[in-house]
Amino acid sequence: MIDRTMGILADILNKLPFKRRKEKFSPANVEELRTAFKDRYHSFKVLLAANNKALEIMAEMEEALRGNRPFGMSFIRANCTAVSVNVFRIVKNLDQLAPGKYRDLFDKFKDIQDHINQELSLRRLPKAEELVLPFEEIDMNMADQVGSKMANLGEVMARLQLPVPKGFVISSLAYQRLFEHNDLQSEIDRRLQTSEVEQLDQLYKLSADIQQLIIRAAVPSDVEQAIVDAYRELETQAGKEVKVSMRSSALGEDLVGASFAGQYRSELNVSADDIIEAYKEIVASKYSLQAIAYRLNRGILDEDIAMCVGCMVMVNAVSGGVTYSRNPLNIRDDSIFINAVWGLPKSVVDGSVAADLFVISREEPMRTLQRDIKTKAQQFVCYPEEGVCRLDVTGEKSSDPSLSDNQVFELARIALRLEEHYGSPQDIEWAIDQNGLVFVLQCRPLKQTEGGDGSYGTSRSDVPRDLVILQGGAAASSGVACGPAYLLLRHGDALNFPHGAVLVTAQALPRWAALLNRAVAVVTEQGSAAGHLANVAREFGVPAIFGVADATNVLQNDELVTIDADGLTIYRGCVESLLAKSGEVKKNLMEGSAVYEILKEVTQHIVPLHLLDPDASDFKAKKCRSLHDITRFCHEKSVKEMFSFGKEHHFSERASKQLVCDVPMLWWIINLDDGFKEDVPGKYVNLDNIVSIPMMALWEGIIAIPWEGPPPVDTKGFMSVLLEASANPALDPSMPSVYTNRNYFMISRNFCSLTSRFGFHFCTIESLVGERANENYISFSFKGGAADYQRRLRRAVFVSSILEEFGFRVEVKDDGVFARVEGFDEAVMKDKLKLLGYMLMHTRQLDMIMSNDAAYNHHRNKIITDIHSIVKPAPMAVSN
Amino acid sequence: MDTFKVLLVDDEVEFLETLVKRLKKRNLTVSGVNSGEQAIEALARDPVDVVVLDVKMPGMNGLETLREIKKSCPLVEVIMLTGHASMEVAIEGMEQGAFDYLMKPMDIDELLYKLQDAYKKKKLHEDRIKHAVDEIVSVKTG
Repeated sequence: MIDRTMGILADILNKLPFKRRKEKFSPANVEELRTAFKDRYHSFKVLLAANNKALEIMAEMEEALRGNRPFGMSFIRANCTAVSVNVFRIVKNLDQLAPGKYRDLFDKFKDIQDHINQELSLRRLPKAEELVLPFEEIDMNMADQVGSKMANLGEVMARLQLPVPKGFVISSLAYQRLFEHNDLQSEIDRRLQTSEVEQLDQLYKLSADIQQLIIRAAVPSDVEQAIVDAYRELETQAGKEVKVSMRSSALGEDLVGASFAGQYRSELNVSADDIIEAYKEIVASKYSLQAIAYRLNRGILDEDIAMCVGCMVMVNAVSGGVTYSRNPLNIRDDSIFINAVWGLPKSVVDGSVAADLFVISREEPMRTLQRDIKTKAQQFVCYPEEGVCRLDVTGEKSSDPSLSDNQVFELARIALRLEEHYGSPQDIEWAIDQNGLVFVLQCRPLKQTEGGDGSYGTSRSDVPRDLVILQGGAAASSGVACGPAYLLLRHGDALNFPHGAVLVTAQALPRWAALLNRAVAVVTEQGSAAGHLANVAREFGVPAIFGVADATNVLQNDELVTIDADGLTIYRGCVESLLAKSGEVKKNLMEGSAVYEILKEVTQHIVPLHLLDPDASDFKAKKCRSLHDITRFCHEKSVKEMFSFGKEHHFSERASKQLVCDVPMLWWIINLDDGFKEDVPGKYVNLDNIVSIPMMALWEGIIAIPWEGPPPVDTKGFMSVLLEASANPALDPSMPSVYTNRNYFMISRNFCSLTSRFGFHFCTIESLVGERANENYISFSFKGGAADYQRRLRRAVFVSSILEEFGFRVEVKDDGVFARVEGFDEAVMKDKLKLLGYMLMHTRQLDMIMSNDAAYNHHRNKIITDIHSIVKPAPMAVSN
Repeated sequence: MDTFKVLLVDDEVEFLETLVKRLKKRNLTVSGVNSGEQAIEALARDPVDVVVLDVKMPGMNGLETLREIKKSCPLVEVIMLTGHASMEVAIEGMEQGAFDYLMKPMDIDELLYKLQDAYKKKKLHEDRIKHAVDEIVSVKTG
């Protein structure tokens, strides 16, 4: 009886056709199909590569915003450019996948681009009006023309009437003229960009090359003339062929209250002939190794620094040195510290000779608190012609004090006047000439240090080892947090995600980003720190560890855990000591600096992600506000466009070959690209000639367990099929039925699209599987069936529950099941395909038994057991 | 991937020579020239599949050269490569049909992938044209 019923049923099913085809098939159509596929496939791959690159760059920019490592403008420019180029490529390739469909993206991209450009546009330096300015005309207000060091000196001379050697400053205007005349800035920027400044050897070469570039540059003739004229004027005041000392005075040195000590060059005792050369050498010292590194570490803009050079009459010092108006090493000590040597102060500054130390109390009458006279075996003196030399100091002089008591007190009083004038501790370089006259050579704010050590970064050895539950993975977002674990195993679980929980899931899917305002931390088994979820986690400041093996099995729902993303450890319970530490603010050298602020501004248009939920109504091209939004939007749409290939392109029977195999069903194959080991003539192809990775994985699942045939049908089920067939006019039995019970593979090496029709059941599987995990993808849809709607619905739920259990993201719409899985490595993807292959064969016509609970459970258990026998335990398998 | 022809254009002689050498080791047919003008001449003489083009050169700059190449050999794919990161120039280049815009220093393998992708795109483009032509011919003769 059953056999006969089945016979009738099979007959009916065979006569039922599917959709009618409009296309006529011809060899040209096949070629078109192939070309269309290759085009789309290529666009899709290029898009994915650009997508990953863009996300990687965004992650890097965000990491830089943490301020834990130095970066310069070239970093910002290069990354803005690279991320823009990649996002543009994403948009362009999506336009190729779906021509004209997402045109709005180009406008949005342009808008965002304009914003970024505004933030990046060159900041103009204040322009000096004169190429050269004599000291007498300078005061503090002119720091933006002559640099703060020389502005100070002018101030000391004019306002305080303290003795300063006569001289002039070569201004920032001269510097700008020198750079523009030789087009130096763009060449320097190029070199800065193309070097790996983290590597010391490269940095060293970079510094030397740039300095050479500047030294070889030609000084514009008007600048040269202005310098020469100023020198001639100096001669009239200080004598013919007067020697000068030349000192750097950079603009922007006081930007962050930093010392800049010893970064730039000074030239002593320079003769008229060499002033221009010395000028260039000092300008070049803007790119000394330490100066480049310093700017980088403190986030100082390269273009904010213009080198001015002070040029003053050389004091051939009998003694010289440096005064600190307070103790530099102890903020609570207000004594005046004077270091002095014989000859030029140079040996105090470079520390080459032990210096006498005089410590003086600041209250009148001044007292000497400490007097430490060293043996000063050498001194620097001026050569008569040019330059300085180091001479041995012989006899008693070497151990005599380099200053008289009167000179000590005079220097102390000068220090107090300067401190009073500037309202802060000062660091003063001075020299005393043959006539006993004290000259102030330089004066700048003194940086005092606290002394204490408040460094962060205690080891975690203080946490008991037995509290450790899991260790490993990679920090996707740093920090420490504590909360109950919430295992997100199915998409539906997200709806119940509680506030303040730790999100634990297998994959770092972008869609979980929507939960980050509720989650206190994230733990995943797979995922990369460059991904969307990691980006958003950092943006929200939610600590995250990705790549923790077995996390969904080891961690239990509602178990209280502490996530230490910096230590890559998960602890049982709430580890208060760790949480307390994470509250401490890390020292951030970059924060607040000019470079940091620019990065902060530009990333506003790049990193924030506003389009979180692809199902939301405002997930639209028009709603994109950042490059991240565009990236996210395009990724979602490109997947949709790519994997609708099978739906939009119909199959040519003549171009296909029939698969020679043992399965008693017809399988047709079309090779889209490189899916065959070798081309075969004729109508058939052997299984061993197929090299499509996803198809072979599917096939393993198809043949893994022989099909037992249709399940026994009760009379009610059979009647339901018959009724449905007669009630549906689309199922016209008079049409030829070539498409019934046939299966079509479209393949390339890494791609496979299977369209399978078993009677009323319609199933498509599209998949991309290769070495690059983040490009891997499977989509599955399953629809139709001959039984009544209720039964089909039940079957849809049945299939979806099994797929969810094995880690698919599943959506049920009416009687259709749509499932996706992506981003796993090849081995995992192959397992998922095997599972689908099995499901394809073993869920046929299950709708007919769907009203019978006993049969339902029997089949469900059998299927679960079968799947476990053919694939490795799935990472998302539910543990009971 | 079958072998294909690449032309490198860069005024930095040392960089150019090193890159030619390194790409040759990866089985590409590579030649190099030092200016945009030379690039146009070389392409007229001996067509290639992909051009790697420096942006900042004396004489014809990268964007001008790109325009010329797209005019005279529209199928040739061009990858811009530069030490001067400039967003405007980058996007302008992309809009004018450059395949990609890379910045120095770059990873040689990354450049190789880009070259392969660009070549693949050119081939697909040529295939499409060929089919279109075949179709026209078959319509006319059929």
